Amino acid sequence: MTCLLCDKSLDYQPTWQHFLGIQQDTSACPTCLEKFERIDQVIEDDRLDSVHSLYAYNEAAREYLHQFKFMQDVALAQIFSPSLRSVLNDSKKIVVPIPMHPINKRKRTFSQVDALLEAAKIPYQSLLEKTTESVMGEKSRSERLAMTELFRVTADIDSNEAIYVLVDDIYTTGTTLRHAAEALKQRGVHRVEAVTLFRPMREK
Amino acid sequence: MSERHQLKQFLAGRIWLRHLMPFPEETVDEAIRQGEIHIEQGVTSKKTWHGTHYTCQRCHNENPTRFTVFTCAQCEAPCAYCRNCLNMGRVSCCSELLTWTGTLPAFPTQHRMNWQGNLTPSQQKATRELLDSTKQGVSHLLYAVCGSGKTEMLFQPIHYVLNEGKRVCLAAPRVDVILELLPRLTTAFPDTRIEALYGGAEVEHFDAQLILATTHQLYRFHEAFDVIFVDEADAFPYTADETLQRAVRKAAKPNAPIHFVTATPSSQLLAMNKKQGNISILARRYHGQPLPVPRSVALWNYDKQLKKKRIPAKLLRWTTERLDKQQPFLIFFHQIELMELAEPLFQKLDERICAVHAEHEDRKQRVQLLRQKEIPGLLTTTILERGITIPNVQVAVVGAEQTIFNKGALIQIGGRVGRSVPNTSGDFVLFHQGITHAMDEAKREIRKLNRTEVPQ
Ligand SMILES: [Zn+2]
Ligand SMILES: [Zn+2]
Ligand SMILES: [Zn+2]
Repeated sequence: MTCLLCDKSLDYQPTWQHFLGIQQDTSACPTCLEKFERIDQVIEDDRLDSVHSLYAYNEAAREYLHQFKFMQDVALAQIFSPSLRSVLNDSKKIVVPIPMHPINKRKRTFSQVDALLEAAKIPYQSLLEKTTESVMGEKSRSERLAMTELFRVTADIDSNEAIYVLVDDIYTTGTTLRHAAEALKQRGVHRVEAVTLFRPMREK
Repeated sequence: MSERHQLKQFLAGRIWLRHLMPFPEETVDEAIRQGEIHIEQGVTSKKTWHGTHYTCQRCHNENPTRFTVFTCAQCEAPCAYCRNCLNMGRVSCCSELLTWTGTLPAFPTQHRMNWQGNLTPSQQKATRELLDSTKQGVSHLLYAVCGSGKTEMLFQPIHYVLNEGKRVCLAAPRVDVILELLPRLTTAFPDTRIEALYGGAEVEHFDAQLILATTHQLYRFHEAFDVIFVDEADAFPYTADETLQRAVRKAAKPNAPIHFVTATPSSQLLAMNKKQGNISILARRYHGQPLPVPRSVALWNYDKQLKKKRIPAKLLRWTTERLDKQQPFLIFFHQIELMELAEPLFQKLDERICAVHAEHEDRKQRVQLLRQKEIPGLLTTTILERGITIPNVQVAVVGAEQTIFNKGALIQIGGRVGRSVPNTSGDFVLFHQGITHAMDEAKREIRKLNRTEVPQ
């Protein structure tokens, strides 16, 4: 086995955790993993009950998303499986990935959030459908605010009482997540939380 | 020039992802309708008794750990892609690779060679032999010691091939080597279309006749070249990677000769050329003086002493002698950690001494400072083993018994010493904790080369 990020070989050193079966399969070497800065930042928002971001969007994160999304290296989805599993481990909550527009998904050949969840073997429900083809980052602030509806709920909501957790790769302006939460709440869902892999930190 | 003609010049000899073609779709579609382009599946699969066996049709990778299978939204099926050549655009089961099958473009047959340098009798002999092999279409190994001026020996054979209207590739495993070769070749062949290809460089001259490329870039060629010269043929990662060697074979036309140039040929390369090729040995440096023979000095527990923040006595004496005599020096370490532990200790002797390794961005600048005598010496990993010339440099290896210092690496490191006139010799010392086979071999090889008769 070699590290998915730097190609150096991973020397397996079996530990006691390994024998007990708790050791999770590593796909990147410690040197590469160290470059990601864990922040576990949780914020509250008017329409989202909580947003939990796992890592800072730093240089390593930028390179990671470039290789994963732009270079289409689906294999990289598994690098964050252990961390995603540890925060999405409540089986009573319903995990809902932020979808891509079908045309964009076909172009990329995969949806990054679905791939992250599948690699981590986290069950999820694809309740949302994206109604616009354009990407949030390409819009101006006024355009973003003027948009009425980004997502449509495409399936029946089983339980309004359950907690729904939206998952996205990165939290930037929050518009995407807010629109998704709004769509669910309009269908009667009481509590919508969110988990994102990355979040840009303010310059210190 | 018409777009159709440009398409021919671009694609002839290349293998390219359809969706990354630098032409409008209609132009490509039209050529396909005309039967001038062959389309093949990017990754092919074969069912075997122990699962599915994948092959990447661009880089010829077949290693199952270098493929990833995923649920593809484009072909709506489980789809495999190749991670071996990923950085050139992803190749998967549902991507299409294009090759040119139409008539081939013609290249100029008159090239000016702007080079009046003098070759020593040894160099002349080697050049003549390399040229003969080129004419006969036989693979040739140019085994030329460090500092023998090997690039100049390639000029005449390259000139010959260009004047035949043929396409030549000069490949090297590392981008540093390519960037160093480019200005020398553009000066030598001022009217020839030359292009350097390496990671991040776009194809600019579709009609380039002489291509300098890292061996990785050859993944994107297919039966393109009439001759390929592989420079520094022993350097990492080329030796380690079998698919890279296949890439070189694939980039050459069938029966085109592949020549290797190296100061430290592997036994495999020597055997291959003894069997089905020719070999020229250039045992003498261009200035005619022998290669420095290493001396071995025992240095017990150097790692423990460095960890206790102490420079071992013999190494300390060696370094202060260099500082006193104002001789520039390089001290090689096998490990970054140990080198960084040693750095502050050496800085107590002279605060300008510093360490360099592969990830240092100002590596080239520090070497330049050493050359200009702005700094007295550098601590380094094997990254500086080849390609650099520093007048009057003295070299020490700390931990010469470590496996990273194989025979080839030791010969390359010694090759830094005594390269230029008037300092044609210098100290080359191996500090060790026990003499290894590699150290013995390197010494024997250097002695043997020094004894080799040279034509007068
Ligand atoms: Zn790594
Ligand atoms: Zn490949
Ligand atoms: Zn596919």
